[in-house]
Amino acid sequence: MIVKDVVCPFCGCLCDDIEVEVEGDRVVSVCNACELGTTKLMGEKRMKGPILRDGDGWREITYDEAIRYAADMLLSAERPLLYGWSGTHGEAQCVGVHMAELVRGVIDNTSSVCHGPSILAIQEVGHPGCTLGVVKNRADLVIYWGSNPIDAHPRHLSRYTYYADGFFLENAFRDRKVIVVDIRKTETANIADEFVQIKPGGDYAVLSALRALVRGKGETIPRTVSGVTREQLIRVADLCKGAKFGAVYFGLGLTMTPGKYKNIRNAIELVSELSRHTKFTISAMRGHYNVYGSNEVNTWMTGYPFGIDYSRGIAFYNPGETTAVDILARKECDAALIVGSDPAAHFPRRCLDHLADIPVVQLDPYPNATTAFCNVQIPVAVTGIDAEGTAYRMDGVPIRTRKVLSTDYPSDEEILSRMYALMQEERER
Amino acid sequence: MSELLIRNACVIDPLKGINAETMDIAIRDGKIVEDVSSAAEVIDARGALTLPGGIDSHTHICGTKVNFGRYMSPEDMRAGRTSRCGPMHATSGYSVPTTYGNSYRYSAMGYTTLLEGAMAPLEARHTHEEFLYTPLQDTMANTLFDGNWGIMEAIRDGDTRRVAAIIAWTLQAVKGFGVKLTNPGGTEAWQWGKNVSCIRDPVPYFEVTPAEIITSVVEANEMLDLPHSVHIHANNLGTPGNYTCTLGTLGLIPDLNPKRQTLYATHIQFHAYGGSGWKDFCSKSEPIVRFVNMRPQIVIDMGQVMFGRTTTMTADGPMEFNLYRLHHEKWSNHDVELETGSGIIPVLYRRKNLVNSIMWAIGLELALLTESPWQCLLTTDNPNGAPFVKYPEIIALLMSKKYRDAEFATIHPDTESRVPLPAIERELDWYEIAVMTRAGQAKALGIQDRGKGHLGLGAEADVAIYPIRIDETDPSVDYERVIEAFSRTEYTIKRGRVVSRKGKCLVDGNNATFWVRPEVSDDYDMEKDPDFIEKFDRYYTVRMRNYPVQEEYLNRNRCIETEAEI
Amino acid sequence: MTYLMITGRTVNQGVTVENKTSPEYAEETSTCHMHEFDMLELGLDDRDAILVTGPCGAVVMRAVASREVEMGTVFVPYGPYANHIIDAGTHSTGMPDFKSHEVEIEPTDDEPKTVHKLMEDLGGLAYDR
Repeated sequence: MIVKDVVCPFCGCLCDDIEVEVEGDRVVSVCNACELGTTKLMGEKRMKGPILRDGDGWREITYDEAIRYAADMLLSAERPLLYGWSGTHGEAQCVGVHMAELVRGVIDNTSSVCHGPSILAIQEVGHPGCTLGVVKNRADLVIYWGSNPIDAHPRHLSRYTYYADGFFLENAFRDRKVIVVDIRKTETANIADEFVQIKPGGDYAVLSALRALVRGKGETIPRTVSGVTREQLIRVADLCKGAKFGAVYFGLGLTMTPGKYKNIRNAIELVSELSRHTKFTISAMRGHYNVYGSNEVNTWMTGYPFGIDYSRGIAFYNPGETTAVDILARKECDAALIVGSDPAAHFPRRCLDHLADIPVVQLDPYPNATTAFCNVQIPVAVTGIDAEGTAYRMDGVPIRTRKVLSTDYPSDEEILSRMYALMQEERER
Repeated sequence: MSELLIRNACVIDPLKGINAETMDIAIRDGKIVEDVSSAAEVIDARGALTLPGGIDSHTHICGTKVNFGRYMSPEDMRAGRTSRCGPMHATSGYSVPTTYGNSYRYSAMGYTTLLEGAMAPLEARHTHEEFLYTPLQDTMANTLFDGNWGIMEAIRDGDTRRVAAIIAWTLQAVKGFGVKLTNPGGTEAWQWGKNVSCIRDPVPYFEVTPAEIITSVVEANEMLDLPHSVHIHANNLGTPGNYTCTLGTLGLIPDLNPKRQTLYATHIQFHAYGGSGWKDFCSKSEPIVRFVNMRPQIVIDMGQVMFGRTTTMTADGPMEFNLYRLHHEKWSNHDVELETGSGIIPVLYRRKNLVNSIMWAIGLELALLTESPWQCLLTTDNPNGAPFVKYPEIIALLMSKKYRDAEFATIHPDTESRVPLPAIERELDWYEIAVMTRAGQAKALGIQDRGKGHLGLGAEADVAIYPIRIDETDPSVDYERVIEAFSRTEYTIKRGRVVSRKGKCLVDGNNATFWVRPEVSDDYDMEKDPDFIEKFDRYYTVRMRNYPVQEEYLNRNRCIETEAEI
Repeated sequence: MTYLMITGRTVNQGVTVENKTSPEYAEETSTCHMHEFDMLELGLDDRDAILVTGPCGAVVMRAVASREVEMGTVFVPYGPYANHIIDAGTHSTGMPDFKSHEVEIEPTDDEPKTVHKLMEDLGGLAYDR
């Protein structure tokens, strides 16, 4: 059976034009997706059923036992951490928020270690952005800053920017210019019309220099700024001001480097400045297919996009204090529920030291690095393959992922709803 | 079967012509009925003011831009926090509360039905997701068509029937309720960083004018027999001297529908400005109202400004950019491919600011000068003019000259020479307030036949009982009591259940969403139109099959089917 | 010698990310991309083992020459190896310094550990070895 218009549950591009061929309970071929999406859609080696760590070994347990274990763990914890959420559908994320509220826990998602700093910057200066189709149809200048779409978002260029068909461009590929700003000469840098190579840590200074140029204060610019020549800076500023529609896409190259959210703030303010001359927009290259959805769900339910602490009953937000890495590194939480992410692979080791000391339950279809720290792991259906639900694309467009095949695995939402029901029962007693 | 009897209610029900009669209201299974058995639960209203549940016909509570307002404003979230308590979840936010915050606070004020004022079709799923978490009100969404490429092309080709066909397809696909035009043409121009100055300015590339968009879409709206009229946020919002543009816009509208208005012009306060700049900025409420008083085909809402901090958010992207250049506060913008846009900035309306003071006065003048309360509804364009929790104060201002004078004494002293407000003696009565906050809203939205906005037999049992006896209260003097009463109902009843009591919500509700499906002939079914499909697939970034909002996103699904002429 | 260690995503890291206990994922995320002159200076050939020492520990990786990095900078695909030596401080932002760690690099005779072993060293228990 061929299923069309499938939504790819890998990265923030959330491509929805995938075709998959299904035989029984397996995907046997994938069309239109990139290598990342294809591998995920054809993924194998799922965990068969829930497992419980038993001393130095593992034993299989039932879903009922696993759910009971998780509910009890959260109910008896003083400061539980509910972390992850970017790799699951919105309906499950909503249950997660209700659970955190009930047990007065901390709920954080993976954006605290990807675009959390971008959100902090947006909270300072706002965000002039647009949907991807606006860029596709209009942009004659695209800037990738500290992002490497060829590796991290392989179809971004072909679906939405460089190679994409655009209504207002006669020959999109020829009429669009691409500028890449990075410290490395990445694959994406190789296709750029202009590659701006910055010395590590120099983004803030280069952004400030461009802002000065756009404001007509070119005389203040020294001969080089963080390794970029004055001539190139002028060339880039002129390209920006001369564009009819410019779009900046930035990645972790800005959020993870020194300066963090101040880099993003400077980039946004450059775009706000350019908006006085021409049309310009800026957007984050979001990683997980539904990391943005997790921010959206958290925001409408709690008021804040990530790092929410319910220990006082009200929703409290203070990144750096209420974010997962900090809470683990300070050895603050006494239980952790992990959903749709793999902190053991992605967090600094000091965090893992603490994960090893506390009870951990994880919902994930596959054994991963975090499995080693689990007391219980519950395998679930993969959203976009054997479960459906809402995901938000990197530009905020919500799309319902399709279920392309049926398995016996329950979805994240089912497991979490059953856990939440048990917890409510217990609390009301 | 569940039964409820409200005894000794002092009822004002304008759609049924009832004005302050003391009576009993019988409710069975969520509907108003003739009588109930002796087993019914009884509420004794003790002569308290009892109205149909409140309806807000223009508010921003759910969806992409509203949520972005929260996302970018942790300072606003901190300004209103409550903990989980009984069935009530925790809430955050003052001017843009979380969905639960909106729902509980509206419910405490007796509101049972809300219309989200601006939903971008491409992002409709988001609005509906938030509706699911707005449990205590029925919801519906105005759908944005101001920069729709297909519609502008059809208008350029002179094909109004195709305009109607595209609206029909889109509304049923995105589960939309009404047709919204926000700065028609301007939102498309803004995707090039430009704007249109008024209704005769052509839109770049498409070469149609806002006037053509407005007249064609109004005609198409009637072809589709939609319950609500076209709902417009006119061009040129917020600029000195814009009242002429507003009059030009209203002047385009013929009287096409005997049951309701032909155009709903929203937040007119922002469109009633005189002067050639900020220096000679003044009120032009009088010429606007004079025009409206002569034309039953127009309904307006106030868009009242109240002093304090709030967040402005609208699909009108270029207007928000202009505000940003004035205020230098943080600014967000979000253009939506082939459809529309939006912008957000926080603002502080200050009594000591002359322009803000004049804006405050204009909103009140509109409501006080419009002869028929059915033609001017009470809104703040929440949260643009003020958060909806300010409605009780607005009601009191409209009912008390004394209160207005007391407030007037605290605002910028030069206001007096720029506005007619001090000379207006009118004080609205309870009946008029009931019209402006529920009955008029139900009629304007075309949902009175769906049992909304009144307490007639068969109506939805949405009832608000306010802790005030109107026979013992003189609102022109006791305005503080009026504010208190409208801030917190004694009982808010939704679909026959008490959902809120003295400000505390008692149940985890389950909202209904109203949406429209116009029945069109095969020739006008865009699902089968090769040109529409081809353009969709080429220029949207979402596949046409993935675009429609599935019924999973509706708690209680209230589809309104209409017979279209096409 | 001291180098600036940058981490980031790669296609291969992404392809293997749902299968983190596979040898392919281990290989990808334990690869340290270096400028060939830096390798020359350390006397390294492609795929030689190196000991990378950061502010909170050391980990064995393999060096591979890359044209993408400048001298003095090394690139490691995002994963458990780089994280083994990254500090958890976030300067009150929630975000560790994933792209600005100074590390020491020297040749070693040890082999990179498996992901399982890395996790067990920190107190975990491997499941699907």
